[in-house]
Amino acid sequence: MIAPFSRIAASDPLRARLILLAGLWIVAIIAMSLLSPYFLRASTVPYLLQYVPVLGLLGLGQTLVVLAGGPGIDLSVGAIVSLVSVVVGALLAAGLNIWMACGAGLVAGALFGLINGVLVNYLGIPSLMATLATMFAYGGLALATTNGQPFSNFPAQFAWLGQGQTFGLPNAFLFVLLPIATILHVMLTRTVTGRHIIACGNDDRAAHLSGLDVARIRTGLYVLSGVLAAIGAIIAMSWFMAARPDAGKGMELLAVTIAVLGGTHIFGGTGGVPGAIVAILIVTTLQIGLQLANISAAWQLGVIGILLIGSVASIGGFKLRWRTSS
Amino acid sequence: MTTLTDPRPGFRFVSPTASREIALTLTIIVVGALFSFASPHFLTVNNLVQTLRAGLELAIVSGGMTLVIIMGGIDVSVGGILAVSAIVIGKAYQAGLPVFAVAPIGLLTGTILGSFNGFLTAKLKVPPIVATLGSMYVFSAIMFLVIGGAWIAGLPGTLSPLVNGAVGYVPASAIVILAVYLSCWIILRRLPFGRHIYAIGCNEQSARLVGINVDRTKIITYAILGFLAGLAALLYVARMRNVEINMGTSIAFEAIAATILGGTSIRGGIGSLLGTLLGVVFIRIMQNGLVLVGISSLWETVIIGGLLIVVLTAEALANRRKGRPS
Repeated sequence: MIAPFSRIAASDPLRARLILLAGLWIVAIIAMSLLSPYFLRASTVPYLLQYVPVLGLLGLGQTLVVLAGGPGIDLSVGAIVSLVSVVVGALLAAGLNIWMACGAGLVAGALFGLINGVLVNYLGIPSLMATLATMFAYGGLALATTNGQPFSNFPAQFAWLGQGQTFGLPNAFLFVLLPIATILHVMLTRTVTGRHIIACGNDDRAAHLSGLDVARIRTGLYVLSGVLAAIGAIIAMSWFMAARPDAGKGMELLAVTIAVLGGTHIFGGTGGVPGAIVAILIVTTLQIGLQLANISAAWQLGVIGILLIGSVASIGGFKLRWRTSS
Repeated sequence: MTTLTDPRPGFRFVSPTASREIALTLTIIVVGALFSFASPHFLTVNNLVQTLRAGLELAIVSGGMTLVIIMGGIDVSVGGILAVSAIVIGKAYQAGLPVFAVAPIGLLTGTILGSFNGFLTAKLKVPPIVATLGSMYVFSAIMFLVIGGAWIAGLPGTLSPLVNGAVGYVPASAIVILAVYLSCWIILRRLPFGRHIYAIGCNEQSARLVGINVDRTKIITYAILGFLAGLAALLYVARMRNVEINMGTSIAFEAIAATILGGTSIRGGIGSLLGTLLGVVFIRIMQNGLVLVGISSLWETVIIGGLLIVVLTAEALANRRKGRPS
């Protein structure tokens, strides 16, 4: 009797957030189609989905890191994108085949994530500071080792992932983001691992006492975030057919925005994949729409900033009311 | 209300982590010696004074950042505050206002934007990293919307003696920095308000129970940082006599790095202004020296990031040995 009730109660704020986000997305779509006559067309869909995968992967990784609590945050994802681009670009330029180079890129992403995870969870450095430091280090390395020069001249078939389409949908969306998002969603909601992650976020002391290796679980999620950033880097490279050493600049802030806007509590324990996905769609819709309407990117920044503050402030306000009434 | 007494023996300018200041001083001496061996241009009065002038804004902002971080907060939007204040100053000059009017307007702008951050964290309970991330977006939106892609150039240099002048043999920049740090020191170490900042950084809940007005202290502290960012903007305009679109982009992260290198704990409650000042000196000397030695300045972020990782790791290991919860 008590168990199902508490489960409903626990999932309720998430569902409410999802409805709110869907509403916000519809508002964004209406606003954009009023702003630009080009927005509400069938051709916008693949165009929009072209933008979604890279940010989406970073946002999903960030969601999981934040969800597991700590409080966890990964500010280095953008720098990982840049550094992995440089690694893969250099290997391709050295004549390695595509699969080997991309495989090495994924391993590099995992390694960078592992460094973050160890700094935060085993050495106990606050995540904000540790990943700020690695953001400096990774981003700096990407720029310094290449002198800021991009790699290009990749083999033509490399473009399949980032530029190709199947059934009218971008390959990167259909074959990468969609499966990954589905797997992560199933993992979070239907598997023991998912329950463990949420348990760590809710109360790490309780999770520890019930036998979970909290540090290992959280470290694993930093590694996952690094791997997802590496996949994002490969998609971005294949899209532009170039590896820029500043490819991921500013992406960390968007990734945090997506996670928080998507309803993941900044201190962990609540949140999920669907919210993050709708948040990605909202952010991308704003980007594309304002671009089509030829409105300065500044508005986009401003709107995202207000969304970010607003999405957390409402949680704060809600909590405050609850605290004073009890 | 009982007065808060310092639990440490006597009021000192050096923090309980005095070892950090000593280590940093030694590092600066060693690095400085290396640079002066490598380049004949490093240890010249002219070069050092130039470095001092170029580091003026970072030094001023870092002083305020130290107060905020000791309080357990963080402000990544300070570059945005600097930029918006500079724009307001530029526009005020262009409108033909005299410097007596422009200076207060610039300082007021910074203070208002800073207290906006304080309001978000204190009253709306938005975690400081999210709040200031969001307000950074908003501030950069304002900046883009006001000046677009253009520069505001040809501004009067009425205040430039504050940067370029000298009293006897002492550069005016040094006097300004000393005045700012002395004021911050008085706030932090001589006023009850400073005790409140430390108390909130140690344990916010206890501070509230002791009767400290936590919300007001937070808002005022963020406002102080905003005020200092406004001052930095005023001096920036005096020095460069223009306002460019990408000003202030890296100053927030540099100020945080200087503060942490200087021994202030990112968890709050511990920190010293002297350490921060040494951190600023270190960062600026690295920047200047690397260029003179002929190493690409792109390596600078790698070195700062790597050093942050080393310092944070050492701190974490030391805490573990002492048995303090890290």
